[in-house]
Amino acid sequence: MEVLREKVEEEEEAEREEAAKRAEWARTEKMMRPVEVRKEETTLTQEMLRDLEKKLSEIQIPISAELPAFTKDTIDISKLPVSYKTNTPKEEHLLQVADNFSRQYSHLCPDRVPLFLHPLNECEVPKFVSTTLRPTLMPYPELYNWDSCAQFVSDFLTMVPLPDPLKPPSHLYSSTTVLNYQKGNCFDFSTMLCSMLIGSGYDAYCVNGYGSLDLCHMDLTREVCPLTVKPKETVQKEEKVLPKKYTIRPPRDLCSRFEQEQEVKKQQEIRAQEKKQLREEEERLMEAEKAKPDALHGLRVHSWVLVLSGKREVPENFFIDAFTGHSYSTQDERFLGIESLWNHKNYWINMQDCWNCCKDLIFDLGDPVRWEYMLLGTDKSQLSLTEEDDSGINDEDDVENLVSLSSSRTEGMCVKASGSLTSVPSSVCVALAWLQQMSIGPTGTNILEIKEWYQNREDMLELKHINKTTDLKIDYFKPGHPQALRVHSYKSMQPEMDRVIEFYETARVDGLIKREETARTMTEYYQGRPDFLSYRHANFRPRVKKLALSSAESNPRPIVKITEQFFRNPAKPAEEDVAERVFLLAEERIQLRYHCRDDHITASKREFLRRTEVDSKGNKIIMTPDMCISFEVEPMEHTKKLLYQYEAMMHLKREEKLSRHQVWESELEVLEILKLREEEEAAHTLTISIYDTKRNEKSKEYREAMERVMHEEHLRQVETQLDYLAPFLAQLPPGEKLTRWQAVRLKDECLSDFKQRLINKANLIQARFEKETQELQKKQQWYQENQVTLTPEDEDLYLSYCSQAMFRIRILEQRLNRHKELAPLKYLALEEKLYKDPRLGELQKIFA
Amino acid sequence: MNRLCDSMEPKVMDDDMLKLAVGEQGPQEEAGQLAKQEGILFKDVLSLQLDFRNILRIDNLWQFENLRKLQLDNNIIEKIEGLENLTHLVWLDLSFNNIETIEGLDTLVNLEDLSLFNNRISKIDSLDALVKLQVLSLGNNQIDNMMNIVYLRRFQCLRTLSLSGNPISEAEDYKMFICAYLPDLVYLDFRRIDDHTKELAEAKHQYSIDELKHRENLMQVRLQDERARQEELEKHKTAFVEHLNGSFLFDSMYAEDSEGNKLSYLPGVSELLEAYKDKFVIICMNIFEYGLKQQEKRKIELDTFSECVHEAIQENQEQGKRKIAQFEEKHLSSLSAIREESELPNIEKMILECSADVSELFNELMMLEMQLVEQLEETINMFERNIVDMVGLFIENVQSLMAQCRDLENHHHEKLLEISISTLEKIVKGDLDEDLPDAPASLFVDKDTIVNAVGASHDIHLLKIDNREDELVTRINSWCTRLVDKIHKDEIMRNRKRVKEINQYIDHMQSELDNLEYSDILD
Repeated sequence: MEVLREKVEEEEEAEREEAAKRAEWARTEKMMRPVEVRKEETTLTQEMLRDLEKKLSEIQIPISAELPAFTKDTIDISKLPVSYKTNTPKEEHLLQVADNFSRQYSHLCPDRVPLFLHPLNECEVPKFVSTTLRPTLMPYPELYNWDSCAQFVSDFLTMVPLPDPLKPPSHLYSSTTVLNYQKGNCFDFSTMLCSMLIGSGYDAYCVNGYGSLDLCHMDLTREVCPLTVKPKETVQKEEKVLPKKYTIRPPRDLCSRFEQEQEVKKQQEIRAQEKKQLREEEERLMEAEKAKPDALHGLRVHSWVLVLSGKREVPENFFIDAFTGHSYSTQDERFLGIESLWNHKNYWINMQDCWNCCKDLIFDLGDPVRWEYMLLGTDKSQLSLTEEDDSGINDEDDVENLVSLSSSRTEGMCVKASGSLTSVPSSVCVALAWLQQMSIGPTGTNILEIKEWYQNREDMLELKHINKTTDLKIDYFKPGHPQALRVHSYKSMQPEMDRVIEFYETARVDGLIKREETARTMTEYYQGRPDFLSYRHANFRPRVKKLALSSAESNPRPIVKITEQFFRNPAKPAEEDVAERVFLLAEERIQLRYHCRDDHITASKREFLRRTEVDSKGNKIIMTPDMCISFEVEPMEHTKKLLYQYEAMMHLKREEKLSRHQVWESELEVLEILKLREEEEAAHTLTISIYDTKRNEKSKEYREAMERVMHEEHLRQVETQLDYLAPFLAQLPPGEKLTRWQAVRLKDECLSDFKQRLINKANLIQARFEKETQELQKKQQWYQENQVTLTPEDEDLYLSYCSQAMFRIRILEQRLNRHKELAPLKYLALEEKLYKDPRLGELQKIFA
Repeated sequence: MNRLCDSMEPKVMDDDMLKLAVGEQGPQEEAGQLAKQEGILFKDVLSLQLDFRNILRIDNLWQFENLRKLQLDNNIIEKIEGLENLTHLVWLDLSFNNIETIEGLDTLVNLEDLSLFNNRISKIDSLDALVKLQVLSLGNNQIDNMMNIVYLRRFQCLRTLSLSGNPISEAEDYKMFICAYLPDLVYLDFRRIDDHTKELAEAKHQYSIDELKHRENLMQVRLQDERARQEELEKHKTAFVEHLNGSFLFDSMYAEDSEGNKLSYLPGVSELLEAYKDKFVIICMNIFEYGLKQQEKRKIELDTFSECVHEAIQENQEQGKRKIAQFEEKHLSSLSAIREESELPNIEKMILECSADVSELFNELMMLEMQLVEQLEETINMFERNIVDMVGLFIENVQSLMAQCRDLENHHHEKLLEISISTLEKIVKGDLDEDLPDAPASLFVDKDTIVNAVGASHDIHLLKIDNREDELVTRINSWCTRLVDKIHKDEIMRNRKRVKEINQYIDHMQSELDNLEYSDILD
């Protein structure tokens, strides 16, 4: 790696200038603030506004104005383990080895930059870089592959630029700290990613090298936004149907072929012209977008991850930029050079020339000519095995131990999925993930469209697409919305405006698929209805202002016309199956169009004029032939009859009423949906899976209750298993087998004891019973004596006492009876149990 | 069965009575006025109620072709008759009459609900045609044999049955028996049969039911076999080679051939016959297989043809529909423009334009149709040529195979003659090893007789073969001509229909336009 000192100095100067500029911008920003405040206070004139606008437009907000807030002062090192703060003797040894190596290296290659070997960690302790790598396999299956790992790292951490873009950082924090603070520079990013990749079995390395400006600043403006790339529609090639034997010959083409050719030529010319223009336009754009040549090209330090082929079925070496999580080929020209690379076991220095970026590098780490290793005898020694000398082998164990032991200092990374919602890492447990996609237009700043993705929302909103140019918003829903919404595209949430609502039609009773609204029309599309309705279109007239404002009742817009279309009902003959009916409400006209029969090209039509008139004699005309004009493909007898027509018209009138009602109901439903949507937007509650035991309160409660019940059950079981023989056995010397005599005595004792217990219990109940009875009698006596003088309250008291006492007595009586009934049974049961007790086996023998 | 109106005269179902009933039961109010104005045709009536009218004989109902529901209850009808034409009948009520036997219902295949409550019926039968029967009411009759229930097993849709008030309902086993034998029944005597009863009944009568089921199954299987055989034969017949997949032809050759049968007793003839039969059957099989194959080929050919024709017609129809749709769109807008226009000369001009459009549409549609006719004609001719060729080839090949049969027969004939003559010679010489049975012995009188006999047998055989061949050839030829004729006829019909349709449409459009003109002039 050729480093030009002078140039560096120049660049540093440029950097400094830039920093100064930045400071200036910051100042201007500060200055702007008072202006804004004033704006609030005083009413501004148009001129002032324009002036302000001009001023504001002059200000360019620097992209990377905020500088690393992630400094060591903000890190709480008190909680870190001791291994972070001190070095073990082995680590010390390793550091010494590294120092020695570094000295030799700088001696041999004086023109190269010093090695990045042992930066300080967050506790200001120098640590060898390989020991900072801690292979970790995450317990989440989502994080098993490199792409998801990279995505996680890039999503989870916030990028902080290097303090000095031309030098590797002085500090390299452990992944624990980085994870805690969710911030880091490229070295932190790649260290963490590398740890994860090695943990999941990849042959991954941290690379210290040089990257392009875009790479170092994570500038993706020149990348094609992956979200705008629409999946290529696989154009299914229409299978050319072989002309069958009896396929009719097409009619002879009587057009002039020459003219056709001329036409084609002309078209081609026009197209070529257009294409050329387009290309020119594109080129111009490209030119405009192209990055200005970077003055520090090739000097910007960057760190990324190299994955070598071989393990985990990786077919080819590739780079991963930990900032973006994108993978690049090793030929990519944004990676300008490699200084050194390391994994958790060893450290290699690139001895190859990087004049042509990394394109010519050969990643055979076992080749000591190309890759100078620091520690001997790690597994990457395809070539070096043969060249190893004895001393190296001696070193080997040592080195192994050194690295393996010291590496334990980095505590295992642990991404916790638990805890409160807010602190959950975004990729692991996406609670409310939203991502904005901005397509930046040619002018560089205006946002064209925004896409927001959601998950676990109770209103099932999945994706929100906002088109900034047309101001059109499209919400996409997953199945399960209470109103069965699927897609809702709108410009404003006000009713009676342009909007399209699509539904999951299977979730709806009426089979509605789509409802389109404009200011004057409403169109609905249906599917799978028993009445075969497929389409309803209503035209409205602007609201007429009611003269007498009749309360707050809704004033629906008058309907001018309703058009309904139907699918073919296979149960009906085509000439009786209505395909389309149009209610012209204003003209009191109904038009019917029937389905076309399979072997016909014309369809029957019928038109009803609903005029109610009075004839010359003053009688109401019910139906006259001119009220129904019909065209029938195959004229039939019965349809000519007035009666038939009359009945058809009556039926249609009823239908018209229904349809009108339907339209109004649809309008109401739209209102309801809008209201609901607004409420949902305001609340945006989240659903919690029933399997998410940590967050689902309900299931948690239930689980806890279950546990409690289990616990109680367990206690009860323990109680029931109380040993009835224990007090008696305790009297005897332990461990000895019972003799027959002892067993008999034990049994008798036990039984007599139990008998006594039963008798005691009976006595107890009896005593209580008697006491209650006596008391009651006493009370009754007292009542008899004082009955005359008692106040009503006292009497009430007495009565209530009586009823309670009676109740108690009854219960006691029942208990006593029950006890009397059960006592002998219990006694027998115990006897039986004792008889079967293994400890009193002697008894059995006798009886046997 | 006491009649309240015994004293009344029986009435005759005449036209007046029916008209009155139709008028009464027809539409009411405004629609009724219209109906009166126009009169109701009997064939438009869907439901008719003729109860309490003292009708003795059902008559004059033949015009009610579309009748769905007929009520003739509470009359004094004695015989079910005159209902043959009411094939759409779904609901028939003949309760409270004096009917003694069920009859005259054989054409009412759509009947679902039949009520014969309170009659004098003693036997359930003659209901075979009512395959859709769901409700049968036979209460208050004189049915006394439980086996009548078994008859009802054939009605698979029967769900409701009422038999109370019959002698059989007195039997203690009545309910169980019915539940067991009619497991699909849901309501019996106006009550729902609960599952428990069903189970009980099933358990009780399991044995006899199983036997019955077994018998029914056997019958079913036999029927199916028969049907399958019939289908197979039908298939062979369409290939014109029925009965050629075996010795049927050979056997038929000898069926009417008494001489041949007699001669078969000659020594050595049976072996000869055996060999002959084998060879003959092989050739027959060849013909059979060839026939099936050819049939398959013809079928494919026909299918492709009809598919192509169908596609072409569909395509053409689509074009026509598109044209009409375009036209209608334009027409509608121009009509509304005419309505809004106020100046007469302008209106006239626009109307002229419109009618020009109409005739333009006519031309376009007719051109499409003519084009299709030409295309189809070409295709049909091609198909005709091909199918005729195929049939010709088939006939030729069959004939050559048949010629092989004939050769075999000739060969056999010669052999037989030889044996016969030698036998005759032996008989004449008297050195025949064994005695001949009487039948052939009678033939060996002299040489002429035996030669004649053998010749007659030969002639019969040849005749049979010739007949079979002729039959095959004539049938396939007639099939071919019929097919081609039909295709031509269908195409002509299609063409006429389309032309008629187009004309009708154009006429309608034109007349609409004319009406508009008049009304405008009137305005």
